[in-house]
Amino acid sequence: MVLIELINVKKRIRNEEILKGIDLKVYKGEFLAIIGASGSGKSSLLYIMGLLDFPTEGRVIFNGHEVSSLDQKTVSKIRNENIGFVFQFHYLLPEFNLLENVMIPLIKKGVPKDEAEERAYELLKRLGLGGKEKRKIYQVSGGEMQRTAIARALANNPEVILADEPTGNLDSKNTQIVMQILQEINSSGTTVVMVTHELDLAERADRIIQMRDGLLVL
Amino acid sequence: MNHVIFVAYKLLLERKRQTLVSVAGVAIGVCALIVMSSLMFGFQNYFIQQVIDLEAHISIKPKEYQDEDRIVKKVDPNSLWEVYGNKPKEKDKIIGWRDIIKDIQKRQDVEGVAVHLVVRGILKYGAKEKPVTLIGIDPDMEPKASVINRFLENKRLERLKTNRDAIIVGKLVAKDLGIKDTGKKVILSLANGRIALLKVEDFFNSGITNIDNTRVYMHINTLQALTDRIDEVNEIVIKVKDVNDAQKIALELQKHLKYDVESWQRAYINFLQIFKIQNIITYMIVFAILIVSAFGIFNIIMMTVLEKKKDIAILMAIGYSRRDILFIFLSQGLAIGFLGAILGFILGYALQEYLSSVRLDVEGLIRTKGFILDRRPIYYFYAFVFSMFFSFIASFYPSYRASKLNPVDIFRSA
Repeated sequence: MVLIELINVKKRIRNEEILKGIDLKVYKGEFLAIIGASGSGKSSLLYIMGLLDFPTEGRVIFNGHEVSSLDQKTVSKIRNENIGFVFQFHYLLPEFNLLENVMIPLIKKGVPKDEAEERAYELLKRLGLGGKEKRKIYQVSGGEMQRTAIARALANNPEVILADEPTGNLDSKNTQIVMQILQEINSSGTTVVMVTHELDLAERADRIIQMRDGLLVL
Repeated sequence: MNHVIFVAYKLLLERKRQTLVSVAGVAIGVCALIVMSSLMFGFQNYFIQQVIDLEAHISIKPKEYQDEDRIVKKVDPNSLWEVYGNKPKEKDKIIGWRDIIKDIQKRQDVEGVAVHLVVRGILKYGAKEKPVTLIGIDPDMEPKASVINRFLENKRLERLKTNRDAIIVGKLVAKDLGIKDTGKKVILSLANGRIALLKVEDFFNSGITNIDNTRVYMHINTLQALTDRIDEVNEIVIKVKDVNDAQKIALELQKHLKYDVESWQRAYINFLQIFKIQNIITYMIVFAILIVSAFGIFNIIMMTVLEKKKDIAILMAIGYSRRDILFIFLSQGLAIGFLGAILGFILGYALQEYLSSVRLDVEGLIRTKGFILDRRPIYYFYAFVFSMFFSFIASFYPSYRASKLNPVDIFRSA
């Protein structure tokens, strides 16, 4: 069953065509890896799939909804409830501790604070961060930050995790941990789309697509 | 809205020092507005209230006539005659005053009417003498047109009825003459050469210097007899039901009367104009303080927006809408305004308490033993509205800019 469908998607930024007509279907429950050199358009494609950005031309269908026909509020709601982002840099909010960072999407969804706290505790524990919930982000390691970012992405049980070079900033040990977590998430039924330029990591995915100069080549 | 407050609260607390400075800035503005307003309006309202209570809301007086002293020259420029001066015509009286007051009393908007005879004289006590304005009043009519009784130290207006040589002396007149107690005998000299021995029965103390420094009240019949102006009056004073209608009523009365009809607003126009200018200057200063504090808020919000671009982008990726982002930063500005207002209320109240306890002798336009404060809660309300308004204006632009950030651009630039 198709979760995200891109039909002839083009993206132009300042007269430069970043995406040159992408047709792609992401199926529910699959682990898709997008590989390609730097500047090939992988991240741009991911942002469009995650409804953070919109194509200059073409159509994006998310879970059966034509994205261009949705208002901004609905798009934000979809991002909050159905999509989880993980970036190369953790992008945790420094004002909040680990627990509160994970609580943010839950609070946004309208989950009561007590419930949100309980869920965040559970997620952090699941990702091996039990006992560190009240720490500020500068009090934990890079790998722990990234795991917190994954916990945040999982907070609302999204249908898809979009990971943009999630291990790009980690050492090999933490890379393995993060990859294992992503595989576990996928095995529990959540779709995972991961952008990477490392082929060995991409090989852990169910399907690999390659991008070159704004086009899918594989 | 919880999700907005959840984030805004943290961002605000993160910058405790800057937040406190901004809150203090707003608090100073709010405090200044409350205290300055209560001082200015306290003084002005006191003055106006005294004037309204004491003076006629509307007075009718004869017009001053002065014949043109070069009339002969005008008729014949080559004449050998030249007039060097001309006495004013003796028209210092209101003819038919009984009919006039009867007509005025019929009006629904008039509370009461009284008549006066106003002349100048010199009061002597021992070796001291002082020029005064003698106001002949009818003790039965006068309370209907003014609240004279309120300003009498011993409330002995009735003595004017029973004792025809009784007078009520302005507090400063008494002070200048050296009269400290009632019952003292003073000598009155009038322009017609008549001299009378009068008894001080009470002191008149309005708190307004130029009134207490000149006025002497006595029975109108006594004054008429002393000035050989039997049954004459030269002023009709009117008290109206709504003081704000005085000018309108005065204009209506003027249409039917050949005398000069003057409302209290016109009589005190110079003071009212000064008060207006005073208020403008005060509010300009207060608004300048509030604008400075608004810049403080603008600064802190703008800095937060510029420094938190990545956080804004991630919040958008998490599902916060542009509207949510706008509210996150706007609510920070409004929170600073709110906290500043509350702190300003406390400071303002404390300062008012202090000022009201300060004892000092002021003798200028009015005489008082301390600051006269108008402590109505409405000034707190105005201060709150202004602080929230300025906070909103100051935080809107940075908040709007935050809401317009493109998360993808921010992620790419990172």
